[in-house]
Amino acid sequence: MREVVAETGRARTIVLEVRGWPGHVAGQHLDLRLTAEDGYQAQRSYSIASAPEDEVIALTVERIDDGEVSPFLVDEVRAGDELEVRGPVGGYFTWRVRDGGPLLLLAGGSGVVPLMAMLRHRAARNSTVDTRLLVSARSAVDLLYRGELRSLADGRGLALHETLTREQPVGWTGFARRMDAEMLMEVGPPALARPRVFVCGPTAFVERGADLLVGLGHAPAAIRAERFGPTGG
Amino acid sequence: MTDLTLDGNALAGLLAETLGADLTAAPRRCASCGRVSEVGAHRLYRGAGLVLRCPACGDEAARIAVLPDRLVLRLSGTWRVEVTRR
Repeated sequence: MREVVAETGRARTIVLEVRGWPGHVAGQHLDLRLTAEDGYQAQRSYSIASAPEDEVIALTVERIDDGEVSPFLVDEVRAGDELEVRGPVGGYFTWRVRDGGPLLLLAGGSGVVPLMAMLRHRAARNSTVDTRLLVSARSAVDLLYRGELRSLADGRGLALHETLTREQPVGWTGFARRMDAEMLMEVGPPALARPRVFVCGPTAFVERGADLLVGLGHAPAAIRAERFGPTGG
Repeated sequence: MTDLTLDGNALAGLLAETLGADLTAAPRRCASCGRVSEVGAHRLYRGAGLVLRCPACGDEAARIAVLPDRLVLRLSGTWRVEVTRR
């Protein structure tokens, strides 16, 4: 464990140096295993937030209050601690620059984490592939990577859209409702452009996104989904 | 049971541990409805064990028991496994 970065009140990014890391593809995750002194083991899967091009592995973990693992990772882990990891794992919810676009990325809450790896990979390769990102969160303080996303979206073909479903700050200019068909039409690209779609978030968000997209004419096979925890915390 | 539902992506590590390969992108043909779906697109239900189900018809694709000393995996339907050789 090299570094810990506070992201929001409930989430921290944990930066790892992994010996013998074979490299990963944006969208993959790793399994992290914790062993208590009495031998009890808990294992959780976390999406990798860093790009394959980065030298270190970054995980962004959101605290699930009654969870077994996330409170430890969010509140206790310090730089220098050793963690047991396995990975990378997952070959379905992945994107490489050479896979092409256009890209439509839909994130519910901390579902933005694997999509961030794709965006960082895209930026590291100087790709300008047409990319639309819609992030849905309850309130502004729950938005992850805000500053970095703003600078990534400064030209270069990435359009950033945000919706705050529960509470909006004064002067908010983004969307202020749950994701719906009208919102997805505004975000684009249209089904005719045949975008590759990645949807990640809680199950209800993913199901809703997939249903809306199919309703807008997107091919089910073009929509890849990853339902994001709680995997028991 | 919505909050207990995930998808096959969450099984990547366990499948690699039992079968030695990352299977989330592997296509699987359902023995019941015939639909071919990648393992990552299947639904995962977590209870006493883990049950992977066809996203189209809900038929069982795999059942996994994680025990203190071993993993037990039961597969149904046709799994086509292709791995990159290193």
